Amino acid sequence: MNVIAKTYQKGEIPGVIAINASVCKGCDACKRHCPTGAITGMFGATHSIDVDLCLSCGQCLVNCPFGAPYETSDAVDTVISKLNDANVTVVGIIAPAVRVAIGEEFGMPAGSLVTGKLYGAMKKAGIEIFDNNFTADLTIMEEGSEFISRARHAVFGEKGENGEPIGPLPQFTSCCPAWVRFVETQYPSLIPHLSSAKSPQQMAGAVAKTYGAKVWGKPAEQIYTIGIMPCTAKKFEASRPEFKSAFEYQTHINKAKSETYADVDVVLTTRDLARLFKKMKIDLAKEQDYTPEILFAEYSGAGTIFGNTGGVMEAAVRTAYAVITGNELTDVEFKPVRGLKGVKSASVTLKDSKYDKEVTINLAVVHGIARNLKPVIDQVLAGTSPYHFIEVMNCPAGCINGGGQPIQKNGSSWIEAIRPWFAWK
Amino acid sequence: MHSKNMILKHPLSVRIFHYLLVISFVPLAVTGLILYFKPFSESTMNLTIRVHVIAGILLTFDALSFFMIGYKRVVLFLSRVFSISGNDFKWFAVLGGYPQKLLLHKKVPVPPMGKYNSGQKLFGVCVFIGGVILIFTGLALWAFPHNLPRGTVALLGHLHTIAAWALTLFLCVHIFLGIYMFDDFKAMFLHGKIPYEEAKEMAPLWVEKEIIPLPKN
Amino acid sequence: MSEQDYKYIENPLHITRREFITITGIITAFLALPSIWIRSVATANNDYIKARTKNLYQDDVQSKIRVSHANKSVARYYKEFGGKPLSRLSEELLHTKYINRTKALS
Repeated sequence: MNVIAKTYQKGEIPGVIAINASVCKGCDACKRHCPTGAITGMFGATHSIDVDLCLSCGQCLVNCPFGAPYETSDAVDTVISKLNDANVTVVGIIAPAVRVAIGEEFGMPAGSLVTGKLYGAMKKAGIEIFDNNFTADLTIMEEGSEFISRARHAVFGEKGENGEPIGPLPQFTSCCPAWVRFVETQYPSLIPHLSSAKSPQQMAGAVAKTYGAKVWGKPAEQIYTIGIMPCTAKKFEASRPEFKSAFEYQTHINKAKSETYADVDVVLTTRDLARLFKKMKIDLAKEQDYTPEILFAEYSGAGTIFGNTGGVMEAAVRTAYAVITGNELTDVEFKPVRGLKGVKSASVTLKDSKYDKEVTINLAVVHGIARNLKPVIDQVLAGTSPYHFIEVMNCPAGCINGGGQPIQKNGSSWIEAIRPWFAWK
Repeated sequence: MHSKNMILKHPLSVRIFHYLLVISFVPLAVTGLILYFKPFSESTMNLTIRVHVIAGILLTFDALSFFMIGYKRVVLFLSRVFSISGNDFKWFAVLGGYPQKLLLHKKVPVPPMGKYNSGQKLFGVCVFIGGVILIFTGLALWAFPHNLPRGTVALLGHLHTIAAWALTLFLCVHIFLGIYMFDDFKAMFLHGKIPYEEAKEMAPLWVEKEIIPLPKN
Repeated sequence: MSEQDYKYIENPLHITRREFITITGIITAFLALPSIWIRSVATANNDYIKARTKNLYQDDVQSKIRVSHANKSVARYYKEFGGKPLSRLSEELLHTKYINRTKALS
């Protein structure tokens, strides 16, 4: 890359996606899926990617009919060499959306749910299982608690427990690395609205190398964490230099001495993992179901739906309802946030048991930044947003259709009705 | 030229259709080749694809309007090019006698042909099928590449490329033979008429079965 | 073209009714089949997305516990290690800060 990337910190991967000019036909299909207009090159000419605008979401990659975009970072061989290293415990952090997609790479029908087979294949490959759904549950605890404290601060003027500053409403979710980078590069004034909770992947890395090190009885520097994600932007996220909290914890609190390591050492997309299995001659479709005993593999249904659009919101509603009212929901399924509508909104009225008052919470779920975000974010910027909690996912339909997922030839990320779009410039 | 024994082979509508075809397909072939090899800078490539799009739209309108105005001629054309007889195999066995005539200056017996000889029939079939494929895939690739399924768009792209290469190569042969048969060239580009005697030699079945004297009214 | 300088024309009606119907049928099929095909593939555009979504919700329905705060392993994590949500250790390990990337960074 000969241009100096301006929107990257030192050590970050400057753009995970690039376009192979010899394959590109200049058809402009990718531009309609790009959330930031990062794809340059006129109609008819070969395209390239402006890394400063690029979120690394990979939607161009999965939607290019000709397969011109490619990933610049590939860690499959590194992971195989780590698996062959007896001193290293390789921990695979499996995102929720991987379990309904990876079967497709092994000839199974689209959307096959293969959690057990995936665990089995990972065990065969020698990867310790750390289900990211466990940290999704953890995310809900942290992010939900943060939302409750923000809401109680806004409604009842409640102060933080240790006097820490409390962020404004609406609160945005922060699970989607492309969305976080979108805010950081396009709307920095909205940064206080982002939940301070890390994404589940980064929580998983931090937990694996601190608490996990105790559970496995291994020193943290011998644990090699790989995020197995439906997402190319997670590769970028894992390379952010601030995500070294496990290393800082180990050196400052446990006084351990070692070279610096990241919370998540490397990220494999769903496609990468399938390639890794194929290189190791593991056929996932023929694997036996396997249930790991470890506590990091226990997850709730709320954690697993993170992969769908509206899933984070639904999971948060289930827990926030219980925490605020003190009662459990009888029907946990929260239908208004499900489905493929571009912007879904709902409002929940519940009684805050702590203050004995009714509160109404307005929720919104946005998926597909490229097509659906603008009106919602304009309201927030103008200060007229009716919402208190907004979930944003970059990819249409959420992580299950992420940029790192297997590419289904018989579909595209276009959720709306099929309309012509006559390219010219 | 002033012989009264002339046959009107190409009426005005056919000649206009052919003119529009020339001014749309030749630029399409040239810009298509440029788009395939991508040799130029960004703005030139953009100009190229704009010319390609405009010429493609012109070709589409040309084909559609001729299909409606000259419906009967289109059906006649199709019924001719899609009819196969034993004569066609005999014709291809000697390649219409053209190589012998061109290279060895020898005349070999050729089976009697209709309006189109077997080579022209094959050309007609390819032009019709290839043209329809090019028009449909071209319009889809221009307007729907972002929301049709990716595999489908890729398939349309391959079809477009294959049909375009086939027709572009056929075009070279067509231009060469069209100018070589200079009476036909004049008929298509100027007045539409060919001499009766020549037609009888080239297309005996056509003259015998389908040519009638101009009705007097 | 004031004066007709040709004597012969092509007989314009040289196709029988049967041929006419056959040929029109062939042309219609030739055009209709691809249209039907493209329509069917276009309507199936989001099928794979819907299948993945449905099966992920199915994973939720199959789960024994369906709310995050009932996850016993998460409770064990907080009991043995993390304290409680938004505790000091949680802030250190599970929370982060964001940076303004509109200013030049590197």
